[in-house]
Amino acid sequence: MNPTAEQIQKINHFSKVPLDMCKKIASAVELQECQPKKALLTEGDTGDTMVLVFQGQVEVSKNMMVKTASGLATSRKPIIRLETTDPPPKSPPITEPTVFVVEAPAFGIGEFSLVLDDAIRTAHVHATTPVQYGILTLEDFSRIVKDNPEIGGFVYFEVAKAAVQNLATASADISNLTQAFFFALTR
Amino acid sequence: MKDKLKNNQGQELDVKTSDLDTVIDANKNLYDKLNKLPEIEALEAIVLDEEIEDTSADKSHPFLKIFNKLHGLYIENELVRYAAWSIVLILISTSALTIVEYDMFKESVTDHVGDTFIFGGDQPNWLDTFFHTFWWSIVTFTTVGYGDVSPVTHLGKFLTIIIMLLNFGVVTLLGGAVASVLVAQRLTGDDTLDENKFNGHLVIAGWNSYVPSILKLIDANQDATDVVILVNETDPDIIQRGLSDYERLDITHIPENFTNESTLRKAFLEKADTFMILPDNSGLLPHEQPDEDKTVLTCLTAKAISESCNVIAHVLDPENVSHLQRANANEIVIPDDHVPHLLAKHVTDPGVPQFFDDLILQEEKDKGLQEVKIPKSLIGKAHNKISAFYKFKYNWLLVGYAVRKAGFSLDDQMGESGSPLIRSMIREQLEGAGVNLTSDEHVVVEINPSDDYKIDEKHSALVLR
Repeated sequence: MNPTAEQIQKINHFSKVPLDMCKKIASAVELQECQPKKALLTEGDTGDTMVLVFQGQVEVSKNMMVKTASGLATSRKPIIRLETTDPPPKSPPITEPTVFVVEAPAFGIGEFSLVLDDAIRTAHVHATTPVQYGILTLEDFSRIVKDNPEIGGFVYFEVAKAAVQNLATASADISNLTQAFFFALTR
Repeated sequence: MKDKLKNNQGQELDVKTSDLDTVIDANKNLYDKLNKLPEIEALEAIVLDEEIEDTSADKSHPFLKIFNKLHGLYIENELVRYAAWSIVLILISTSALTIVEYDMFKESVTDHVGDTFIFGGDQPNWLDTFFHTFWWSIVTFTTVGYGDVSPVTHLGKFLTIIIMLLNFGVVTLLGGAVASVLVAQRLTGDDTLDENKFNGHLVIAGWNSYVPSILKLIDANQDATDVVILVNETDPDIIQRGLSDYERLDITHIPENFTNESTLRKAFLEKADTFMILPDNSGLLPHEQPDEDKTVLTCLTAKAISESCNVIAHVLDPENVSHLQRANANEIVIPDDHVPHLLAKHVTDPGVPQFFDDLILQEEKDKGLQEVKIPKSLIGKAHNKISAFYKFKYNWLLVGYAVRKAGFSLDDQMGESGSPLIRSMIREQLEGAGVNLTSDEHVVVEINPSDDYKIDEKHSALVLR
C-alpha cells in the first residue's frame, strides 16, 4: 500500500512540494509497520534510503566513548526522540524518554541519502512505539526529480537548511569541546 | 613627546585661579551633600546595633555556668572523673561505718580529742563522730593506715574489708589516670585548640624574619582578622622572642611540620580565610637556603583540604612560580620582582622609588595605601563620584580599585550553544575526572580608571590615607 499525497506533504522536507507532485513521491513509497525496538537506521552503515515516519515515536542515539568505573567503554547515548502528532502514536512508548521529545506532524530521517550516494548513517534510530513508515530510495527519488525538476528545488532547499543547521551546531560543539579540553589541561 | 608634555603643562598654568575657586566651591557643595548621604548614618546605626547585640548575648545564670563548666570538665578529663568517684566512695563508706560502728567511733573521738568538741559542745555528737570516721576513711584510702582507730564489730570489719578491696582498685585507677593524662598531654602538646575561636582566621606556614613585620602590619589594620595561627618547627622560645607586643592579634603556634595534612587540619585550614606559605627557616643555619619544594607541597595539600581557601605563597626562586600556579595558589609573591623596576626608576623618575619606600615601608596605623569597602549606595555609580566621595568625606585619595573577578566557569562559557548531549557529556566526564568546572575567584586591580568607569559590587576601593 502507498501513503497518500497528504501524508507525504506533512513531512517537513516535502512541505513545499505541491500535492500532485507529492502523489508521484507517494507512489514510489511502500507503507510498512514495525514493532517497538526495531532498528530503522544503524550508525556507521551506508545507505541510500530515506525513512519517512508517518505514525509513532523513534529514538535517535549515538555511540560514545565514556569513562566508567571499570575504565573506558562505548555506550549508546540517546540524543533526541521524534514523535508524530498527525496521527499520534498508537500506544505510549515502551520506555520513558530521558531526552527531549520533538513533535512534528510526520518526519523523515536519513535525508542526506537523498543527496549523497553512499551517505554514512550518523546515528542509530529505533522505534519506541509501533511505527508506520515508508522508505524512499535515492534511485526512485532521482528518477522523480529527473522527470519533474521543480521538486528537486523544494526538497533540496529543506535538506540544505537541515545541513546548515547541523553544521552550526557541530561548530558550537567543537568550540565547547576545545574549551573543555583546554580547561582540563590547564588545571 | 616632551614638547607635548610641556605644552600641556603650559596650558594648565593658563587656567585662572578664579576658575579653580569655582571648582572648589562646587566641590564644597558636593561635600556637604555627601555628608547628608543616608548610607553613612545607616552604617553607623548598624555598627551600634551590633555592639548592643554583643553585650546582651550571654546572660545565663552564674550557677548554671559553673555547673556547665564542671560538667564539661567531668566529661573531658579522666582524672576528674576518677577523683569524683573516689570521693563518692569515701563518703559512702564513711556514712556506712558511722552507722555500723557508731559507738566505737564516738568513744574514740572522746579518747582522742578530750573535752573540746567542735560541733557538740562538751559531748561528741553525730557530726563529730562522722568527721572522725571520715578521718579514718581517708587514712585507709590513702593506704597510710595510722591505726589510731579501727573497727571492732564483725560487721564493721567486714565492711572495712570490702572498702579496702575497692580502695585497691580506685588507687590503681587513680594512679593510672594521673599517668595517662600526663602522657596524653606530653603527646599532643598543649595545643588542643578551641575550635569555636577559629573561623575566617589567618594561617601562616613557615617562619622567617618577615613574619613579625607581616603580623605588625596586620595588627595595625583594624579591619583585618585578629586570629592568627603560626605553623612551623622553630623553637617556641625563639618565636616568643620574635613576636613583640601586638594590640589586637591572638597568635597560636603549632610547632609541627606544615607539609603534613593532619597538621594543617589541626590549624582548622578548612575554616581559614587566608593561608600564607612562606620560605621556612626553621632549623636552618644562617647561610642555608629554605627548601621551597615544601611550599609547593603545602599548597597542594592545602588545596586538597579546602579548594576555596585563599592561598598566598611567597617564593624566593622564580622557578617555583609555575609549580605553584599548577598547584592552584591564588597569589604568588616574588620579593625581587620589583627590584629592577625600582632601580631603573631611580634613573628615569627620581622620587618614585622614594615614594614607594614611604608608602610601603613606613606604613603606620591607618595611614598609607588601604583597601576599603565601597558604601552600598555608591555601587553602580561612576568612578568620579566615588573619588569625590572619599576625597571630601574622609580626605582620602582614591587611586584605584581591587576587583574580585569570578573565576572562569566552563558552564557559563558553553551557555546554550551546541548540542545538549555534548554539553552534558563534557560536564559528566570532567566532573567524573575530578575537574572543577569553575576556577577560583581572583583579585585584579584597576588603577586610576576613566571618570565614567562604572563600579559594581565586586569592586572595593584602594585609597591613600
